[in-house]
Amino acid sequence: MDFYLGLAQMIGIHTLLGLSAWCVLHTGQVSLAQGGFFAIGAYAAGIMTAMFGWPLLLALPAAALISALVAVAVGFPALRVKGLMLVVATTAFAEIVRLVFFNLSWRVQTPDGMIGPDGSLGFGGIRYFQSNGWSAVQIVALIWILVALVMFALWQLDRSRIGTLWRAVGEDEVAAQSVGINLTAAKVSAFGIGGAIAGLAGAMFAHYTTHIEHSNFTILLATFAIAYPILGGLASLVGTPLAVIFIQGILIEGLRFLGDWRSLLFGALIVIVMLVRPRGFLSRALWPKRNQLRPPSIVEN
Amino acid sequence: MLELNQVSRHFGGVRAVDELGMQVKQGEILGLIGPNGSGKSTTVNLIAGLYKPTTGSIRFKGEDLTNRATHERAALGIARTFQNIRLFGQLTVWQNLWAARVVREKGWGGFRERWLSGESAARAHAEELLSFCDLADKRDMLASNLAFGEQRRLELARAAASGAELLLLDEPAAGMNTEEIDDLDQRIRAMRDQGRTIMLIEHHMELVMGVCDRVVVLNFGRKIAEGSPAQVQSNLQVRAAYLGADDEQVA
Repeated sequence: MDFYLGLAQMIGIHTLLGLSAWCVLHTGQVSLAQGGFFAIGAYAAGIMTAMFGWPLLLALPAAALISALVAVAVGFPALRVKGLMLVVATTAFAEIVRLVFFNLSWRVQTPDGMIGPDGSLGFGGIRYFQSNGWSAVQIVALIWILVALVMFALWQLDRSRIGTLWRAVGEDEVAAQSVGINLTAAKVSAFGIGGAIAGLAGAMFAHYTTHIEHSNFTILLATFAIAYPILGGLASLVGTPLAVIFIQGILIEGLRFLGDWRSLLFGALIVIVMLVRPRGFLSRALWPKRNQLRPPSIVEN
Repeated sequence: MLELNQVSRHFGGVRAVDELGMQVKQGEILGLIGPNGSGKSTTVNLIAGLYKPTTGSIRFKGEDLTNRATHERAALGIARTFQNIRLFGQLTVWQNLWAARVVREKGWGGFRERWLSGESAARAHAEELLSFCDLADKRDMLASNLAFGEQRRLELARAAASGAELLLLDEPAAGMNTEEIDDLDQRIRAMRDQGRTIMLIEHHMELVMGVCDRVVVLNFGRKIAEGSPAQVQSNLQVRAAYLGADDEQVA
């Protein structure tokens, strides 16, 4: 049972991470910085609860806010470049964040002893759940309530003016600016909101593992972050959690019995899915509306 | 309404537009013609803001556009269509119009629209344009699935939705048959009758000569003639540019 509760927590955290990348991908930008924002959220929340005794429910929004502010600050210069150059720039940013935490040593005396980030040894003792007597079920509930809130907010956002503008920018930047859309505002807002969600995910991750270190936040994490929404399909929000369940639940945990063959099958299954559904699990065509099926009429009148 | 003062745009050594001076007057349909490579599309991109002029200045309604970004020019009332259609392909017909219209709603307008009231001026305007481009029955279809002529109509309506006072049409008749061109002719006139000023870049001479009040002819980035369609048609330099006579013969 504990295994499944732990898996449910992990899937929830990765869903948040995937949703953060979903925001950015919506505007047509490929960012590998999501792992960096995740790391910032993790360290910030850990510092607040473990070192300064803040309640978690205050630390979560504060960590999300810090990640969002960093994302906006990074977004203004970074989003001036596009495509592969943006991938390189955001990768560089994520590595800088990782190396900052690799070198960060800042420990304070608490009732539980010396606690704080300790360079390459990591940041242990983020035991808010344990010292406040949360059960695994309660932690799962908190994570999935956050997932539900974020998904609801993004769903509303997607249907609002901002969502329409984000999608328009993702479709064609030249056309978008020609109808009056401010590209910088659209991209930076998506980056900022994505940063906040990644920070929230990181904050939960820190409290879920109780020990974080720089090696949790490598480029692999950022790759997973963008793999989820791409695999799930950008047309729908629900695709992202489905993709997380597929990768984390089925491919990583479910295929353990295959031993060394697992990693081979892992790659093959992802390739097969992308071949069968190139726009992701939940691309539009899965449920076409009636009039989308009708071919364009050839004979007018 | 629009004024180009000695505008040049160089690409390396190539002078795509060379000290071009021209005006577009309120309420007219101005044709901009010239052989391939004469700088027509570059001129449109300079006015729309996708290129910055190497020298010279552009004024719109008395305001200097030189340092304005593309989206700011759109907000001032300059909209365009593209030579190779650029719709938001994976958005529906309605969303294409809505994206162009709703961006003009400032502050919380877009949210109010969504949550508080079903009816609003913005929505009514977008609906009106949806009927204007005769795509009301295809509003939920993806723009990329529309037929070619429908895509052109939608792009025109989208430009209008963004609040165009000056509409730059970059070869709207390309790839159209005679019937479709007649239809386009009617739509351009309708757009003007609704109070818009139109600058038409086109190779299809019948359309240009039929619909335009005034025509400007470019060759090698320079203005070689300007006047009514009839005046321009009888201009020797214009004939030379199109038919390929030597400059000496004309002189």
